[in-house]
Amino acid sequence: MAEFFGTTVADIFNTMPKRFKPEASKGVDVVIGYECGGEGGGKWKLTVKDQTAKIETVEGDLGPCTATIMASDPETFIGVTLQKIGAIDALSQGKMRVVGDTRMLMTLLPQIFVQYTVPEKKTEVTARGILSAIGDRFRPDKAAGVTLKYGYDLTGEGGGQFTITIADGTCTLKEGLDADLAVKMTMEAATYVGMMTGTIDGAAAFTSGKVRIDGDMMAAAATGKYFDKYVDPNAEEAEELLSLKVVTSINQRFATGPVMGKWFAGLREKKLLASVCPLCKRTLILPQEICQFCHVRTTDYVELGPEGYVTNFDLVYFASPDPLTGEVRDTPYACAWIMLENATPEEAFAFEIDRKDLSKLKIGSRVRPVWAEKPTGSFRDILHFEIID
Amino acid sequence: MATKRVAICAVAQHKNEPDLWYRRFQNMLLDVLEDLQGQTGFKYGEGGVEMIVSTSDDFFDARTISNNGVTDVIGGQYLAEEKMAQEGLNAIGYANAIILSGHKDLVLIMGHCKESQGESRNMITNCGFDPFYGRATGLDYLNAAGLQARAYMKKSGLTDDQMAEIVVRSRQWAAKNPYANAQEAIPAGKVKSSPMLCDPIRQLHAYPVSDGAVGLLLASEERAKEFTDKPVWITGFANCMDTFFFGDRDLTSNFALKNATEKACRKAGIQDLKKAADVVEVMDCYAYQQPMWMEGLGFCGDGEGARFIAEGGPGKHRVNLSGGTLAGNPLIIAGLYRAAEATLQLQGGAGDRQVPDAKCAVAHSTNGPAGQFHSVLILEA
Amino acid sequence: MKKHIKNRNVAIIGIGQTTLSSHKEDQNQVEMVSEAVRNALADANMTLDDIDCIVHGNMELFEMQFQPDMWHALGCGSYGKDEYRITTGGTVGATLVCASDSLVASGQYDTVLCLGFEKLQEGNTTGGITNMADPLWFRNLQTGALTSTTATEMIKEFGKERVLRAAMKYRIMIDKHAMLNERAHRRLGLEYDQLETLMETSPQLVGELRLIHMCSQSDGACAMILTNEDRVKKGTAKPPVWIRDHETSHRGENMSNLYGAKKPKSTHRDCAEKLFKRNGIENPLEYFDVFEMYDPSAYWGLDWLREFLLLKDDEVLNLMEAGEFDMDGKLPVNPSGGVIASNPIGATAMLRPAEAALQIRGDAGGHQIKKEVRHALASGFGGTLWTVMLMLEKELNW
Repeated sequence: MAEFFGTTVADIFNTMPKRFKPEASKGVDVVIGYECGGEGGGKWKLTVKDQTAKIETVEGDLGPCTATIMASDPETFIGVTLQKIGAIDALSQGKMRVVGDTRMLMTLLPQIFVQYTVPEKKTEVTARGILSAIGDRFRPDKAAGVTLKYGYDLTGEGGGQFTITIADGTCTLKEGLDADLAVKMTMEAATYVGMMTGTIDGAAAFTSGKVRIDGDMMAAAATGKYFDKYVDPNAEEAEELLSLKVVTSINQRFATGPVMGKWFAGLREKKLLASVCPLCKRTLILPQEICQFCHVRTTDYVELGPEGYVTNFDLVYFASPDPLTGEVRDTPYACAWIMLENATPEEAFAFEIDRKDLSKLKIGSRVRPVWAEKPTGSFRDILHFEIID
Repeated sequence: MATKRVAICAVAQHKNEPDLWYRRFQNMLLDVLEDLQGQTGFKYGEGGVEMIVSTSDDFFDARTISNNGVTDVIGGQYLAEEKMAQEGLNAIGYANAIILSGHKDLVLIMGHCKESQGESRNMITNCGFDPFYGRATGLDYLNAAGLQARAYMKKSGLTDDQMAEIVVRSRQWAAKNPYANAQEAIPAGKVKSSPMLCDPIRQLHAYPVSDGAVGLLLASEERAKEFTDKPVWITGFANCMDTFFFGDRDLTSNFALKNATEKACRKAGIQDLKKAADVVEVMDCYAYQQPMWMEGLGFCGDGEGARFIAEGGPGKHRVNLSGGTLAGNPLIIAGLYRAAEATLQLQGGAGDRQVPDAKCAVAHSTNGPAGQFHSVLILEA
Repeated sequence: MKKHIKNRNVAIIGIGQTTLSSHKEDQNQVEMVSEAVRNALADANMTLDDIDCIVHGNMELFEMQFQPDMWHALGCGSYGKDEYRITTGGTVGATLVCASDSLVASGQYDTVLCLGFEKLQEGNTTGGITNMADPLWFRNLQTGALTSTTATEMIKEFGKERVLRAAMKYRIMIDKHAMLNERAHRRLGLEYDQLETLMETSPQLVGELRLIHMCSQSDGACAMILTNEDRVKKGTAKPPVWIRDHETSHRGENMSNLYGAKKPKSTHRDCAEKLFKRNGIENPLEYFDVFEMYDPSAYWGLDWLREFLLLKDDEVLNLMEAGEFDMDGKLPVNPSGGVIASNPIGATAMLRPAEAALQIRGDAGGHQIKKEVRHALASGFGGTLWTVMLMLEKELNW
């Protein structure tokens, strides 16, 4: 169909019923004929009576009309309708002709119809389309030093398999799934499109199993960081949200006090010290000023371990960032609760387990601390606990 | 029937220090706890203390749920512990209500704070302003006080000389208070020439950075005698909030303090507080606040604060014989120190500072920028 | 045990909530709390003139605002009134209701409004939570809010298959309840036949704790109005919900001594024992008609039901498997969808008694329990596993 100014003549007439204002046509009784020459043109008849409007296409003769508008071609007709071409100019150039009450037409039509506007074009959004343009959104500055290969397995209509490789500040997309992916995300293509255009809540999709993750979950969570947000071409322009980001930082001097100080001093000597409650004899580790069960001051210390056994542990796949540094630890890692030798039954000691031993870690595993070469009296003095075979 | 009135049985104070780098909160609070237990013999658990109201602040402690680290020391294991997250005098008001309600008959109050831990308390109070405008202008509680001081000096005629006099007097009394921080006597000239912090507030007009801890044991009337033979009765407590944006406030009006005072006096059945009170402890972070808060408490008329100072009002009305907050208290528990001193006075335990035959005392505290919020506690022996 | 004497009775007469969302960028904190306050006042058919005192609380480092009640004064309605600011970590919302109860019961205040809120998007939540641990030691361990230690303990006791299935059933049940609550934040539309698939496909966070088991974060606020018996007698807009009793069982910072060779009594069980004993309740499962429990994860939900209801052995699993915690079960749990569905941390613990109160009123709308609700239980959880509990009653007849 011949398109001018982004639309067709037919669309102007097809939208007339929607644009008609019945209340404004009270007492109006007219028949208006339209004739548009050229390809994409045609003949239409508009009958307005009893506060209703009827539009019909006409083959052959228009018949009796109160007035008739004739345009030589669609471009003129559309242009004048959209007020992109002045009506006077078109009339004087002979590209438009009106038979009947011109003045009536000029005042009546704007009164009883909402001004025609070109409809918005909806761009088709597909998973394939979004992914093929992923390079345009890539942010090499945010991916500096990152090497990551991950994949999407999109099922259902419009689906496909894709591998994205980020390396040396570049991003490449190819079809198919490589064997050595850090992580693969499987979902329906429609789910992917929904998540990217914001019609589907990503968190809910992940949580409810609509998205399946095979591999490193942290890597999956990180992928969003390396790209600008996808902008839905059909979305209405949202009001820009001004954002002020401030990092508040106030330096602190934390005191250990003598009791916790003793703990750190013990670490310097590769000793794990506990306070002893004078009443219930609990071995409180880390040492405390008071036994919270007996409400009495503790005064004695005892050395525990160094060996012990594991009573419980957290194998962490998804780490929270350190609030002081913003760093996120490599996962997986494990934090274990350890019953050190000489500890009273409730008083476990929690610490990280050697990453090399994660596959061997069980409830009941016997462990011992691995010390830094030169302990200085700090958290870093114990590197981790390793499993004793 | 639940109890008719609540007593403060005992108080314990950790000395206010400029920099307790060698102790952590738990050490400080344990000293305070043992002092209280020594005085009263109270126990925890059924029949004893089952509820603790702590006071501390997350920003000053740089720790979310700042009371969590000290719960063990203050006795919270398997008991009820709640944190009063505003200035500590309000913990007394709250504990008073808990006991009057019949929920518990004993409440332990334990507050702590180390202003020396963070590099700047002004950076902390700057975060008390709204993130979009107030903070960006660099407002903090110090320069907010500066604005109020300037306006107050204009209204009342308070002079620089008088402010120096207030500081000199504070030091004289603080020297007699074993718990005070700034005890060194200073001449007025030194105050007037100390570095300007925020015009008109000079360094020596401002309360010094302090670390401290305070504990109090409150009991119902029926149980108070188990712990003390000198119960100090809470006869009135009230507080009041003013509005936040300075443009909406008259910084010299004392709106919130007058409101709180009126309510507290009504509860205590007191018509004229300046006649009834034998001892007054106001939270004066800055020198100008002493006469200004005395106006709010009704000890002199509106705008008469300078005259009050000139006529020896603080001496006559026994104001801040502890040295007041001007001698150094951490911001968030300064009111608890005021209440502690007031209690000691009514128990006859104020040593060299003792007002003979003291029967009625007022303890005051303020919170928020330029005294947006005030609390008034009336105690009677 | 000493009989509990309340100076005067206190009822909840107004409840107001804002919508919950992960991004409330269209309001600032003051506007958000004001919305909750206005909703509560409208619910009670009252104005600010009727309120004597405002009770406020939150964790400052979440929104990085020092003493936020100062800035919020205009939104809270605290101008010219008494005000208290009390915080207890995650339990703060419930504590505020307990505190308001004490303030009104004491006779010092007639009508009190309490307010809990959260605007996590304005701060750094993880920073806020991990900041809770001691800076010199425990903060480095980063055990945080995500943990599967309870799952491990339960698996040790009852076997992996049974526990994993029960926890997933709990999760789906909770989602079904959330689907009935139009105000709930996360509503996934899960079905029981997805149980096995979800057990396998939901990403693992820590050990057996999967993404689907965990609560998320929401922004929002909740306000409640409490008043005394005499005021209630003068007539209220909605039926009053009486606060019968409340209790808190707290504990310190140490998490290490929770999973040693011998496990200590949980604060949940301790609190429940004390509360029920002094109220003469021997069988909480029979006594209560609804339980709004603070459940941050499905495993904790399951474990704590056992603790709160003073159950033994595998009774809780039997009940779960038999559907007794469903909307039409013996004791409906979290008809609102609980914390897993909606978690505006500063308000979450207040939503529990709020939702329980709505149930007693018959006001809960889509998620209203069909049977009459006369006795309700609500719990709050916070920090290093401490507990707050409230008992609410339809009538003044205990």
